[in-house]
Amino acid sequence: MSEPEIKPDIMRVSWGPQHPMSGQTRILLDVDGEKVHRLIADLGFTHRGIEKIMENRTFLKGIIPIERMVMVDTANVGLCYVLAIEEALGVEAPERANWIRSMICEMARINSHLYAFGLQAEAAGYFPAVFLWTTVDREILLDLFERLTGARWSFNFFLPGGVSADLPEGFQDNVIEGVRYLRKRFAQYWVAMVENAIFEMRCEGVAVLKREDAIRLGATGPVLRGSGIDMDVRRDEPYAAYGDLDFKVITETESDSMARLKVRFHEIGQSLNMIEQVANEIPGGPLRTRVPLFARAKPGEVLSRVETARGELGIHMFTDGGMNPYRVKINSPSLRNMYVFERLAELDEILIADVPVVINSIDPWYLDSDR
Amino acid sequence: MPEGAEQAFIEAVTSEHPELVEEAEVLRPKRVSIVAKREGFLDLARVLRDRFGFLHPVSAGAVDYLKEDRIQMIYYLMNPSSRFMLTLRVDLPRDEPSLPSMTQIWEAMSFHERETSEMFGIDFEGHPNMIPLLLPPDWKGGYPLRKDFEGEGAES
Repeated sequence: MSEPEIKPDIMRVSWGPQHPMSGQTRILLDVDGEKVHRLIADLGFTHRGIEKIMENRTFLKGIIPIERMVMVDTANVGLCYVLAIEEALGVEAPERANWIRSMICEMARINSHLYAFGLQAEAAGYFPAVFLWTTVDREILLDLFERLTGARWSFNFFLPGGVSADLPEGFQDNVIEGVRYLRKRFAQYWVAMVENAIFEMRCEGVAVLKREDAIRLGATGPVLRGSGIDMDVRRDEPYAAYGDLDFKVITETESDSMARLKVRFHEIGQSLNMIEQVANEIPGGPLRTRVPLFARAKPGEVLSRVETARGELGIHMFTDGGMNPYRVKINSPSLRNMYVFERLAELDEILIADVPVVINSIDPWYLDSDR
Repeated sequence: MPEGAEQAFIEAVTSEHPELVEEAEVLRPKRVSIVAKREGFLDLARVLRDRFGFLHPVSAGAVDYLKEDRIQMIYYLMNPSSRFMLTLRVDLPRDEPSLPSMTQIWEAMSFHERETSEMFGIDFEGHPNMIPLLLPPDWKGGYPLRKDFEGEGAES
């Protein structure tokens, strides 16, 4: 990246991309003493050209590269593309498949939020044990994924027209057991993190993003809801089984780093309720509508939207009657939130020591923003 | 949201500003598409933000239609109260695609325009910081997302 000019009496510090806390990006900090004047994100270190790759794959094969966009949240990302294919081909998944999809998506959301907590605790200089706690607790979910789909991370379980397998025997009981355990653990996290005085000092009032700024700068997901705006694709445009599941859209009004963390905390509570509801009330029926392996979609376009753990993901797919999509445009939530991050230093006073806390409260995933 | 809000919106835009709109339609519930004329695109964007409340920018991208010799630039916009997705499009010629930068209206289009510029070679006039977003700084391989892109890599 050619670097923008530096103002006089300002020092520029380059942070990342190989710093353990920065992720795969480079952040330039223009600092005057402790105070950060300007933040510049240098993205693109993990650019793989997924949008171009998709143009050269059949619809079905495209599910594999797109799941590589967000490794902790593969289910939601994969679902977005599968929904786009289904709309383009004019097929609908049966009810049972939709319920299974919702359950896996909520499990992936918890997995992703847990990872975010762990990093936030690390960033706040708070005892590193929390990161290990969350890593151990994520095992519960990963084991459930493995039992259901055969893979722990990137499972390509959703197919156009449904899901690839039914719940194994006794799976619902395992899910309910896991949910109970996680509920107990979240009560402990709440005491150890949110109510902890040191953690409060590090997060409360840091990097306030006002309501109107969040809208104007195009924030999404927990960042937007942490600023008090009640927008969630799951409720606004229900997909999978979200129309039948009971959940609340969580918002917080403080708009600071703590508010964004609290949104994630309460969202996990909602996700656990939904998972339990699916395990108890899942309807019977077929798992898949048949879709030809090399299906051709009519010329046209489809724009599907899904609420991932990081916010709204949109996939705009153009078809020209062939076996491959003509163009796939991915509207990634992390890229939108990274722009918000760049502007935060101008909206509120940020100190150098706050930067890791701020970036983790945004929770970007660079594989997602770079695609 | 009242039924038919999308249709009402389209009728309002086309009747108030027929000179700025080429084509407007509801693709399906919650998806509205407007193809704008290239002249006065900035005016239409300003009207959409100030009069119709499209305050929330989502994204921007482009599609290369090689056979029809045009690139379609697309802005994705959201109205925080009515909650439907507007795709605001404008057709540009392939040989010299240029457009006034929408960062004047929606500041957050900055990243998306930087990406579209390096991937499709569209020139955004008045963009405050037009440097590559994702590609390496020494990239000389052309515009990767154009349909006639061949070859790869940065040359030294």
